[in-house]
Amino acid sequence: MSPPVIGNEPTFLDKLQRKRDGRNVDPALGVLSGEGAQQRVKDPEDPHPERRPMPTLPSQLATERETAPSYYGLPAVKEPVWIWSVPTYLYVGGAAGAASLLGFMADVAGGPELERLGRRGRWVGTVGDVLSSGLLIHDLGRPSRFLNMLRVFRPTSPMSIGSWVLATSGGLNTLGLLLGQRRGWPGVVGRCATAGAGVLGMPLAGYTAVLLCNSAIPVWQATHRTLPLFFMSSATAAAGSLLSLLPHGPAEARVLRPYRLAGKVAELVMGVAVERDAARVPEVARPLHEGFSGTLWKTSRVCSAAGLVLDVLPGRARWKQVAADVLTTAGALAARFAIFHAGKASARNPQATFQGQRQGLGAAEVAGNTVASDGKPLKFPLPVLR
Amino acid sequence: MGQKGFFTDTTLCIGCKACEVACKQWNQLPDDGFHFTGMSYDNTGALGSATWRHVAFVERPVPLQGQTTGVGDFSWLMMSDVCKHCQHAGCLEACPTGAIIRTEFDTVYVQPDVCNGCGYCVVACPFGVISRREDDGRAWKCTLCYDRLGEGMTPACAKACPTESIVFGDLDELHARAENRIRALHERGVTDAYLYGKDAENQPGTGGLNAFFLLLDKPEVYGLPPDPVVPTKKAGRTWGAVALGALGMAAVALGSVLLGREARP
Repeated sequence: MSPPVIGNEPTFLDKLQRKRDGRNVDPALGVLSGEGAQQRVKDPEDPHPERRPMPTLPSQLATERETAPSYYGLPAVKEPVWIWSVPTYLYVGGAAGAASLLGFMADVAGGPELERLGRRGRWVGTVGDVLSSGLLIHDLGRPSRFLNMLRVFRPTSPMSIGSWVLATSGGLNTLGLLLGQRRGWPGVVGRCATAGAGVLGMPLAGYTAVLLCNSAIPVWQATHRTLPLFFMSSATAAAGSLLSLLPHGPAEARVLRPYRLAGKVAELVMGVAVERDAARVPEVARPLHEGFSGTLWKTSRVCSAAGLVLDVLPGRARWKQVAADVLTTAGALAARFAIFHAGKASARNPQATFQGQRQGLGAAEVAGNTVASDGKPLKFPLPVLR
Repeated sequence: MGQKGFFTDTTLCIGCKACEVACKQWNQLPDDGFHFTGMSYDNTGALGSATWRHVAFVERPVPLQGQTTGVGDFSWLMMSDVCKHCQHAGCLEACPTGAIIRTEFDTVYVQPDVCNGCGYCVVACPFGVISRREDDGRAWKCTLCYDRLGEGMTPACAKACPTESIVFGDLDELHARAENRIRALHERGVTDAYLYGKDAENQPGTGGLNAFFLLLDKPEVYGLPPDPVVPTKKAGRTWGAVALGALGMAAVALGSVLLGREARP
């Protein structure tokens, strides 16, 4: 039998006081009209799961406190509340964007024999955009209010920019698919829409990295110069592999092979760059090496590398090509989940926030300040002069 | 009108939690369970969707300036934490729906009827203040008692504070008051006392906090970041990387199509 968990079982006091909604206001006597009165409580019996009992006495944490102080080891920033659909979207949206771009390029420069590749790119782009919207709406706390995303345009918010990019790209891709083959002016509109979706495919593949980097999560913020390049190269590799897995002819294969290989090589190189970027502060890079996110990251690196090796090996067997593409897809998907979970682990570790900022990854990186908010030099303990 | 804010002087805090209770009561926030954490007298834990004031208790076998105890090396630090209402607010700049606004009092306010619970403000806050309640689906934080300010009243926490550790008022007056207090403390020998987040000079990453603090030890000891930065300040470089990546993606796509055409047998 497992030992009882202290702090999670409702006590007698809990049951007595939390009968209604955790507010203990009798509706017959009091009116709920405060600023927080609308906050819905579904299950008053279930305590809000934010706290764990301390493992040791406060006084026994003293030694650790002097070298690496924190408030009882509690996180300094909040953990992302996003669920599995967000990292899945990071993959789907990226692949859709890159496929739209390749489709557009095939239309512009490919001539009649690549017409099928252009159409295929538009199809993958359209389906990806629709799927992406679904995944994102599923993650919202209030899914019925998803249209509020298009209520304003806020250039400081990558999520606002991304919502507009995704909505526009989805609309244009659909328009291109419906009208692209027509004659006369509808065809012109359709081809313009395809061009627009193709161009928007690039920010669609890259903005998701800005979305993650533009946060207080140490490992995401620390990789803000390299993560976009990693996501975009990974999106290229993923789209190339996905289009290769779908049935295609020899003309398309000649285009897809260099496209896919360039993406795979860039993905491997940029993955190393992301690791190096995070490794400026070991505590920040930790979730890329340890725990669940570390395992995922290693898996994704191995899958991507294997996908590239298998692809360049001589031989034209179909199974070899399929295995390479499946491995690359798995690698790209695992990479998004690894980055996502690394962010969660990083947020839970207060030392990632504190040591990152003490070693110059906070405001000092952009504002150039040499003192912390306590008016003392950023780094401590101060150097001892002998 | 004018810029309103809080000056929280932690040297005056006695840890009575009247601010926590007043906040919960006035704003009619649900409780977060009655549980024992083992962290000194702090059974609240952290700021959250239903906890807009949180009193931190730092209990250590470490001596501190200005504190004499009868039990040798021992010291107390207490601090009532709250949303900082930053001049450059991470949550506000990240909000894609326009639910988070800056009010006429220069405070940061979440409109619950607009918020769709995307959760982006939660990761954008450098102080880990705002959070999404899972059973409600929306993000919540301190409103600096927007409803009370509209009526010309003092926010509930400041009104309830018995030692004037939490002072509410115009930012200019609060700054003057804080400077006087620091001077008095330094004269008395408590030279470690400093102001956290008073203005942009003191905290360039946030441009200063409307709710700033007087602290005695490193910010980390209270769970505060030592050099916080609003993430948006680094967005320029990240978008630059996206532009570079876009060039690369376009070149690879165009190059592959041209290569594939030329390789025609």
